[in-house]
Amino acid sequence: MTIVLVLGFLLYSSWPLIQQQGIAFIIGDEWYPFESLYGMLPALVGTVWAVVLALLIALPCGVAAAIFCAELLPAHWRGSMRFSMELMAGVPSVVYGLLGMWVLLPLLESQLELLTGRTLLAAGLLLALMILPTIMVLSEDAIRAVRQSQREAAKNLGIGWDATLWRVLLPQAWPGIRVATLLATGRAMGETVAVMLVVGSIDRIPDPFYNFLQPAQTLTSRIGREMAEASIGSLHWAALLFCGLLLAAIAMGLSLLTQRKGAAA
Amino acid sequence: MLLLALPALLIPTMVLCYIFWQAVPVLNWGFLSGTADGVGFGVTEGIFSQLVGSLLLATMACLIAIPFALGTALYYRTFATPGQQRLMNAMFNMLQGIPPIVFGLCGLVVLVNLFAWGVSLLSGAVVLAVVVLPLLVLNTLVTLERIPNEYSEAGSALGLTKGAIILRLWLPRSWLQLLTGLLLAMARALSETAPIMFTATVFSGVVWPDSIFSPVTTLQTHIFYLAQEGNDPLLISIAWGSAAVLVLLVAFFGLLARLLQKLGGN
Repeated sequence: MTIVLVLGFLLYSSWPLIQQQGIAFIIGDEWYPFESLYGMLPALVGTVWAVVLALLIALPCGVAAAIFCAELLPAHWRGSMRFSMELMAGVPSVVYGLLGMWVLLPLLESQLELLTGRTLLAAGLLLALMILPTIMVLSEDAIRAVRQSQREAAKNLGIGWDATLWRVLLPQAWPGIRVATLLATGRAMGETVAVMLVVGSIDRIPDPFYNFLQPAQTLTSRIGREMAEASIGSLHWAALLFCGLLLAAIAMGLSLLTQRKGAAA
Repeated sequence: MLLLALPALLIPTMVLCYIFWQAVPVLNWGFLSGTADGVGFGVTEGIFSQLVGSLLLATMACLIAIPFALGTALYYRTFATPGQQRLMNAMFNMLQGIPPIVFGLCGLVVLVNLFAWGVSLLSGAVVLAVVVLPLLVLNTLVTLERIPNEYSEAGSALGLTKGAIILRLWLPRSWLQLLTGLLLAMARALSETAPIMFTATVFSGVVWPDSIFSPVTTLQTHIFYLAQEGNDPLLISIAWGSAAVLVLLVAFFGLLARLLQKLGGN
């Protein structure tokens, strides 16, 4: 009920924009509200980049940590590990933003000798930190859900630990890890405040497009930045609402995918 | 592999330690109970009003969300057909996936402007309520599912009405878990910034909101503005202090929920 309301409302409010400029503005690459150019592409690319970077960092780390916790760590350590992860998952995003702004940015600036630390890389790193608990906790659950008899069977067959891990544990835990990844993707995409503080908010597709050391913009950070400036009813306003619609649509697609995969698992 | 796992294992502790290490210089009783009295753009120490604002918002959000969550969950359990149940499940999972800022956006347009509630406690609370609603509903559903079917069947066999089954059988068995869910929702509501940024908060100048139609100051947005604008080391240390208080608050609700869960025996 709410969902239909929200979506319908977003579509209705952004309708003037679609009407005036056609649907093609989604792939337009220039966003200058004052000249009525509302290309969505820079923010879309920024969002995708930030999420991909975050996943690239967080996925290997998170899954490795999950394997470590589930298989190697003694049981009484496991509880406290999990507890600290849950605690970390509970840290509000604005606190991560503070951390990113006053710890990560200076670090990046001095280490990589950049003009400004506000880059896609910073956003990716920060997001990685934020989705790490999700990935780790859910992957650990998935790995531990693999039956003990499977591990014993592997041992009986004389398979080494490495092979057991790659051939037995991970393939069986894979559906769970996949769901964890999808959930983490959704979370990373929708994160606003932290990203807003570190991403730089410049509406430009990185040049060349794989250069993640440049400032960029994500859908969420754009909404956050410009919402207060846009006057209600204007095209700019409609464009921002359309950003919201895009976000909601992608999120719902992801969620549907998660449910399908989750049901298949 | 250990090399890959190491950052994930160490960073959480480091992050928390760092926050508190930064916060220690400003954390004292005066910081918690002092109010920024409007002079000097929040530079004056004291985050009492922010604390009050955050708690008020979160509490109101939960109070608004509870009836809807309970109603939906009970409908799901008692009346909904399997088809409807699948649909509702999909809906709530989707609702959970939608970024909070989208709700903030809708709240800004509909509540703040269309309903003319203005930037106010009420608008923020309603938006937050929508954000925590799926969490509450899903938790309630899980709780209700745990109640063995035999209970309800025995109840029906004794001629109890559906209302009586809910009140006399389900509620006594599950209130502890329901409370757990509520506490988790509180923690969630406390940690959201994006949805209330445009709908409920101003930077400073409010200690106790006069009515539900007046804006509040919150810890979340306080941290945000200080982080964004502050060049003064003092401001940043206030931000760290607020961050530590916020983390402690969220952790407090999380821990309380955990404790209750243990009490409830699972």
